[in-house]
Amino acid sequence: MNANANTLLTPKNARRLFIAAAVVLLVLFVFYKVVYPIVFDAYVGKANAPLTYANSQPITEDELEAMATELSLSARRAAAEAIVGQDENAFARRVKVEMLMGTQSFMREHEPTHIKYFRDANILQYEGPKTCLQCHATINVRHHDGRTSEVDTLDDIVNSVHFKFQSDAGGGFSTYGYDGRQVNAEGSRPIPVGKINRACGIPGSFSWTGWAALVESRPESAHGEVALRSEGCGQCHIGGNYQPATEKMMPIGDVPGVAKEGIDCLICHSTEYDMNQRYVIRDDVGLRWNQDRTMRAALTVGRSTTKNCLNCHQHNMGGDAYLHNEAAKALGDKHQRLLHTGAKRGNPFSPHDDVHAAAGLQCTDCHVPEGHKIPRGRMGVDLVANDLPDVEVSCVTCHSIAPHNRSEHKALLNGHLDRIACETCHIRELQDNNVVLRDWVHPTWDAEEGIFTPTDIYRSGEVNKGFTFLWFNGNGTFLANALGNNPNGSTEYDPLMQQLARIDDPEIVAAVREKAVELKKTYPDIDVDAYIEAATDPLSQLTPEQVEERRRMLDQNLRAQMNDGESRIYPFKLFNAMMYEDMGNQGPFGAMILPFDYATYYETGDTAASVKQAIRDPIVQRMYQEPFKLYMMDEFMAYFGVSGGWKTDYPLVDGKLENVEPKWMRQMGSLMVNHGIQPVGRDCVECHSPSGILNYRALGYSQERATELENLDIVENLRPAESLSARDGG
Amino acid sequence: MITSRDRATRQGAQLHTDNPLQAPTGSPGSTKARALHLGRSLALWLCFFALGASVDQSVAAIAEPVGGAVDKELAEAAADRHACLRCHAMSTLGYRDPDDGEIVDLSIDREGLAHSVHGELACIDCHRRSYRRYPHPDRPAPGDLDCIGCHEDENQNLSRGWVDIDAEFKRSVHAVSDSPRVEGFSCHSCHDPHRFRPAAVGEPIVQIVRNHNEVCLSCHEKLIAPSSTSHGWLPNRDAHWTSVRCVDCHTPVAVFANHEVLPAEKSEKNCVSCHSADPQLLARLYQFRSEEDIARRGLLAKAVFNEAYVVGMSKSPALDRLSLAIIGLMVLLLAAHGVGRYLVRRANRRA
Repeated sequence: MNANANTLLTPKNARRLFIAAAVVLLVLFVFYKVVYPIVFDAYVGKANAPLTYANSQPITEDELEAMATELSLSARRAAAEAIVGQDENAFARRVKVEMLMGTQSFMREHEPTHIKYFRDANILQYEGPKTCLQCHATINVRHHDGRTSEVDTLDDIVNSVHFKFQSDAGGGFSTYGYDGRQVNAEGSRPIPVGKINRACGIPGSFSWTGWAALVESRPESAHGEVALRSEGCGQCHIGGNYQPATEKMMPIGDVPGVAKEGIDCLICHSTEYDMNQRYVIRDDVGLRWNQDRTMRAALTVGRSTTKNCLNCHQHNMGGDAYLHNEAAKALGDKHQRLLHTGAKRGNPFSPHDDVHAAAGLQCTDCHVPEGHKIPRGRMGVDLVANDLPDVEVSCVTCHSIAPHNRSEHKALLNGHLDRIACETCHIRELQDNNVVLRDWVHPTWDAEEGIFTPTDIYRSGEVNKGFTFLWFNGNGTFLANALGNNPNGSTEYDPLMQQLARIDDPEIVAAVREKAVELKKTYPDIDVDAYIEAATDPLSQLTPEQVEERRRMLDQNLRAQMNDGESRIYPFKLFNAMMYEDMGNQGPFGAMILPFDYATYYETGDTAASVKQAIRDPIVQRMYQEPFKLYMMDEFMAYFGVSGGWKTDYPLVDGKLENVEPKWMRQMGSLMVNHGIQPVGRDCVECHSPSGILNYRALGYSQERATELENLDIVENLRPAESLSARDGG
Repeated sequence: MITSRDRATRQGAQLHTDNPLQAPTGSPGSTKARALHLGRSLALWLCFFALGASVDQSVAAIAEPVGGAVDKELAEAAADRHACLRCHAMSTLGYRDPDDGEIVDLSIDREGLAHSVHGELACIDCHRRSYRRYPHPDRPAPGDLDCIGCHEDENQNLSRGWVDIDAEFKRSVHAVSDSPRVEGFSCHSCHDPHRFRPAAVGEPIVQIVRNHNEVCLSCHEKLIAPSSTSHGWLPNRDAHWTSVRCVDCHTPVAVFANHEVLPAEKSEKNCVSCHSADPQLLARLYQFRSEEDIARRGLLAKAVFNEAYVVGMSKSPALDRLSLAIIGLMVLLLAAHGVGRYLVRRANRRA
């Protein structure tokens, strides 16, 4: 042996070995950097190409100066008007504004900072991340635990949820599969989870198949003329590429450099960002989203403000149709974006409807960023991607555990914090167009827009109609159901069989009936009674054996997660949708939802054709093949509550949908609502009365305790002071 | 926020707050009192004895309402507590004091109250009638919430009763200091009546020391800051802190006057007070242990096994001498063995 080793290690042989190892490494490196990306793109059927934007044009120095003057003036005027705002006399106000505008220190303070930088560096064209990174190649990040670190800026943003909308390591919220396992917990095999791969009944598609679409609409006003409209998930995500960051789902590989060049820095950082530049464009490679790359936008960069966040996020809070959604008023210079009229949450963040927005707070005051990672808080049920799962975002951080200071009954109100979340009293209602039941299978013709839209069977912003109250400890299920339990350890509290699985309110049932009757005129096949039953009692779609299995899984797999930690009563927006499902992959909590192709759906209203089109997408086909099954779909299905792993029977055979049925999800999803905070909370009697908004029995209180909570002598004594206490609630 | 945290700590500590009346003072009165109470229900024992109720009064109190009447009173008290705890059991009941912005915690721990010496009382026994209804008055009526007001006549048969404690307290640095920090100092500054119960015999000494010291440290928190040089003169300062109660050195050594807290300069600094064959101070420190040991292992066992205060020393001079003699003997034996082997070897070599 020694002799062998010695021969091997003669200087000559050692050199040979070294060269051989170097060559192997080089080959592997080249393979990883050159061959792998090409093979991967071919495998998932996606393309990458250098991205160009027509509005990224060089300007002359004179134009820069003219633009600088104009932007400085407008920024200064806005600041001056904000200061002078209080003065009642219009003329006096104008004179004061003029004086301020000419004040030297004021001029210095309110010039957009980057005008000087761009002038000094002679930057006359904005070319995307490349331009920003010239100076900001690295940034210093202050972490929530007080650490600071220096990070590569591009790397930081590429690995944030805003770009890749998924996270794997470290989980997100405490999301639990119906099999009882925490999703991506330590020790488990992490799979990418987030919006990138989750079809959902609100948008009706997911980012792979619904990234960017050009829809031919035929609006009434245009008398048959076709108007192209933009639609797709990409409108709200900062990647400018032809598809989402699919590469990031794999354990190796990275997003190609050309895709990174498409990142839209300015939508988050520019105060003058023009949302009219945000529309779908078609080039030789495919469809993608345009962005504002003008020098005008680039000159006004700075820290992200509320306005920047709301460019996208008002869409899921107040909704597109919300009166004060500024971004929805700039729909595009061409190919205008389609508005979603039913609101996802219906809890707007704007000075008109939220006390914090009215107080001028910035989003980042509560969601304190660490570099480009922005915390969502430790509680949430709606999806699992979360950049900073350990960072707290909560009311008590600012308000302390004694937030009520004005009311005579402040101590009693503060006492409620132990059991009741702030939102429970301070979100009294959601927007009227908050959608609860959405039927994707029977679309309705929208004459004004000239498209077929999903039919919202029921919308409401009212308490116990559009939203209800559930115990919540920060844990959620894989399909967005809040987990928690009455601190008394109740075994009766059973949201996945009761509150989230049944609609009893006769008013809602009547409204659903009305809609069903209306739909029947277009779709004569609809059996109104069966339709109502499926929509309001989604468990009726399961066989008795499946219901039994569901019962068993809830008791065995989720009870412990419900009893975990400290639960409080939170308001949750309710949502259910009827979509096409792959019945081969069904469990007691639902089956794999199939996405819709937006263009086909909106243009033809032929929902089956739309599904077929969407699942022809190569990546959906790959999903139904063995490598994807083994890589993530088996694990995905286990969390989904489907036993036996992912069935790879592709549901499109010979141009026909096989084993695909339209179904309502087997329970409603519950989405957290945390914005639209109203300064005056609920009055005592709204909950503490026999007809109050809280159903104490359903929330797991004993009959005796429920009766006591409904009939509190203290509240009775206070009745005369009711209005006063309500006014004083803050 | 800081205030509320302090208070929480203090409340936690109160679970085991020292009750001097529990100490085996050796006074005939105390023994007699305990003997008389044997056989009474636990509830009444807690109510009257633990509060230091005088024998005569408690006997009178128990003698009158018998059987059902007692139950009825207890039931009424329970109903009263239930009514109050509907709000006061909410752990976040409180408000921010408009004067200093600190949170005033109004919550009462349900379990803590149930296990406290006052656990069987009705709330209005102490908080009087003005608190019967919500909203409550801003300030307590004069005479409300006054421990001595309830307990003043209860010391007739005890060596040290409430009047003594009151007198001790009035001499203590907490009462006589000019510092603005002691303004308004009262029993409740240290003792939360909603959690107050004596340390139970049999609890680990370390636990008792920690609980008692937490009461002091909830205000004197600077002492234990990492940079603190306080008590630097003590050898093994941290070891002392984990096994000696503050009051053991900071109250007069000779008498069991735990409430006469002394200023720093007057406190005990004489090591020999503890570390000697006849340690005055140690008797106080280990009062709980002594009782526990006596109960469990008998006096003889205690004499033999009682923990050493200096390595090698047993506090019994005879035992000390005996063990020294044994060690000396061992050394001699070893030496003799060595010498023997050496001699044998030398003899062998010669042969």
